[in-house]
Amino acid sequence: MLSQIFQQSRRKLKSAIIVALSIAVCGVPVAFADSESMVDPDWKSYARVSGITGNVNSIGSDTLNNLMTLWAEGFRKEYPNVKIQIEGKGSSTAPPALIEGTAQLGPMSRKMKAKEMDKFEAKFGYKPTAFPVAVDALAVYVNKDNPIQGLSMEEVDSIFSKTRRRGHRVNIDTWDKAGLKDHWKNVTVSLYGRNSASGTYGFFKKKVLNKGDYKDQVKEQPGSASVVQGITEDRGGIGYSGIGYRTSGVRAIPLSAKSGDPFFEPTFMNASSGKYPLARLLYVYVNKAPGKPLAPLVKEFLNYVYSQQGQMVVIKDGYFPLPQKLMEKKLTEMN
Amino acid sequence: MRQAFNKFLSSGTLFVWLCGAAVAMSLLMVGGILLLIMVNGLGFFWPHTISEMTLKDGTRLLGEIQGQEVIPNSMTPESPEGKTRIRMKIGNRDLYGLDFQWVDEEDIVARSTPQDVVVFERREWGNFYGRIQQVTQGDMVMASDNNQAWKILPPLIEQVNQLHEDIDVIQRVEIGDINHDMEQARLKIQALHIKGISQSPEIVEREATIQRLEIQYQQQVETLRQLDARLADYTLTLVDTNGREKSLPLGQIVEALRPNDMGVGAKCLTYLHNFWTVLSDEPREANTEGGIFPAIFGTVMMVFIMSIAVVPFGVLAAFYLKEYARQGAVVRIVRIAVNNLAGVPSIVFGVFGLGFFVYAVGGTVDQLFYPEALPNPTFGTGGILWASLTLALMTVPVVIVATEESLSAVPREYREGSIALGATKFESMWRVILPCAMPGILTGLILAVARATGEVAPLMLTGVVKLAPALPLDFHFPFVHLDRKFMHLGFHIYDVGFQSPNVEAAKPMVYVTTLILVMVVIMLNMTAIALRNRMKKKFKGAAV
Repeated sequence: MLSQIFQQSRRKLKSAIIVALSIAVCGVPVAFADSESMVDPDWKSYARVSGITGNVNSIGSDTLNNLMTLWAEGFRKEYPNVKIQIEGKGSSTAPPALIEGTAQLGPMSRKMKAKEMDKFEAKFGYKPTAFPVAVDALAVYVNKDNPIQGLSMEEVDSIFSKTRRRGHRVNIDTWDKAGLKDHWKNVTVSLYGRNSASGTYGFFKKKVLNKGDYKDQVKEQPGSASVVQGITEDRGGIGYSGIGYRTSGVRAIPLSAKSGDPFFEPTFMNASSGKYPLARLLYVYVNKAPGKPLAPLVKEFLNYVYSQQGQMVVIKDGYFPLPQKLMEKKLTEMN
Repeated sequence: MRQAFNKFLSSGTLFVWLCGAAVAMSLLMVGGILLLIMVNGLGFFWPHTISEMTLKDGTRLLGEIQGQEVIPNSMTPESPEGKTRIRMKIGNRDLYGLDFQWVDEEDIVARSTPQDVVVFERREWGNFYGRIQQVTQGDMVMASDNNQAWKILPPLIEQVNQLHEDIDVIQRVEIGDINHDMEQARLKIQALHIKGISQSPEIVEREATIQRLEIQYQQQVETLRQLDARLADYTLTLVDTNGREKSLPLGQIVEALRPNDMGVGAKCLTYLHNFWTVLSDEPREANTEGGIFPAIFGTVMMVFIMSIAVVPFGVLAAFYLKEYARQGAVVRIVRIAVNNLAGVPSIVFGVFGLGFFVYAVGGTVDQLFYPEALPNPTFGTGGILWASLTLALMTVPVVIVATEESLSAVPREYREGSIALGATKFESMWRVILPCAMPGILTGLILAVARATGEVAPLMLTGVVKLAPALPLDFHFPFVHLDRKFMHLGFHIYDVGFQSPNVEAAKPMVYVTTLILVMVVIMLNMTAIALRNRMKKKFKGAAV
């Protein structure tokens, strides 16, 4: 579904290609599309409306924690009288907070599970509404010295999973089994992952492990940044985190959907075209009764997120902006 | 031989040496940790030299050198030490995507430290390293080369910083006031609605107030907009070392420095200024930049509330256990229970605090006293009061044990003397025993404070947030807002260290925050120790 939506946003893609090319020509070492090019400059900027005041609590994803904070900072510039409080301890904390009413915004880095939906519905009689807010390419990171060219999804599965549902023959526990030579022959693969409250944990398990089980050796980290830091210090390390957490100490490796397929880097273009296999949407869930409008404050917050400024913030945090078509669809739904 | 050894053992010299070694080890470890924090944290404020590197392929890099390492497995017979690479902070996140880059030293063909490079601290996207191309005001070009621009820049930056301060005052004070009054009026109306009154002169009056405030608010917003527009009066066109341009409004700049052109004196001044900024400023960019004032404030205030709760509670409990309760099996069991309480992991207290204080007590308080605000919880969500009480519960065993110890240390003659002079049991306790035990009680408090300040896990469940929009103390009645969420240094460390996307750039912030947390703990302890010493002195005088 993602790729279909993305196909429609050709125009942005083109500009991204131009920028990528120009960067390649300039020889800037980091493959990074310029911030201005990813969001259409003609996309509407945010227009302040009157009468917005009050308190909003946001409880949920750790992946989205910074993004929410940055949005809150920007939103408060528009509405200095609004108070936004943000807690981010994992996507699984969002549904209970929405159900209890302790939060009005529930950022999640995965879709809500059917069980969580049912609990919500049992209390309110309708389902919570999801608003996609940004695109993330979930990256598989290795240490910056690791020369590996890329991995297929089967190999990644075999690295992280003890069930190996994707059917890779060997259990990759040393780097030579992933094709590395020389000094890397006997280096063990050291696994970093997230704790089970994290949506990233759930997404990776579903998409890569085909709902199989993680190996017991995975070092579960309390935050996405600590995954990256662990790998920075650990030469044989490999782990997964949002693309926004990339640093100079790690390398986000290209992935292929099937062994034998070409590898694709986790870039804006590849995520947009659907070629990168681990692109995902990041969501904010809200409590919206059918037929009734959203609370004005929540609505304006989402309007801000879908604006030029809001999507620039997405880039600032290292994620990718939403395709325009999707934003238009969600905006009409909301208004 | 054997005899000599036995003699040596029985002389106790070995024991003295062991004790000395233990103390030395402890000191070494404490000193080591402090040193590590200080080395990593204090360097953060120093304006570092900016190097310009030209690489083999002709591209250039500009930034601070932040580290060097040997490339693993790069040793060859010709160069047994191996090749090295350096880590540079190149900034310009909006252009390059990452703040840091590793460069192999063999790729570098030339390096220099040009005097004219400028480091800009920006309000967004981190630092910019480069040169100024031009400064424009509207269409008018004010300066069109680096040196000329550098001359006119300082007063302009001062001007925009002043503007930012004005904006801040309007947002925080003026709009804060209006907002508060509006909220009050709205809640009053809501309260009347709940009572079943839908039309009354009071409602009309309140609604008029809201409308009046709304107009005031609009005026303030208009002022803000004008100030905001003035921030963009000047446009700065910067150019990075490879010639890529970047235009931005001057309002984005916090500070501009030419560290390569600064003397040691100027650098020291900048250092102090930067240090003060971190202590006194609000955080920016999802806490990775700016200051940590709200977190310092939140930590200290939480500790105060906790002390107010824990001391009377703990002391009364200890008095009962020691003085009134009949010593027997029950008291022994209670004492064991109290001691065990001290060993319960803090996260368990956090869960208890969430379940009992936040949901049970807070939820009930909301229903009884704040029905007009529902479904938005007032006390039914985490807040500084619940966090403090949870910590008080966690540290109460320390106070109880310390108080009991100091009560048993009060000489028997004092009690007997007091009673012999005709004082009742209560009087002798209040006038004689409590003052004597006070230093011991304060020791308990010091230990409690030290434990509570460093605790993070239970706070995460009971009211700490990444970004709190308002301090729990302000000029609106009732001044202390115990229901508000707050920021905390310990949580700040956790959050910036584990959860910030740009974790490399944020790392120094983690050390700085740690350093300040340690300083806060020391300061709080010093206060308590000074208080204790004064009491000891007073008590000495009274006893003679």
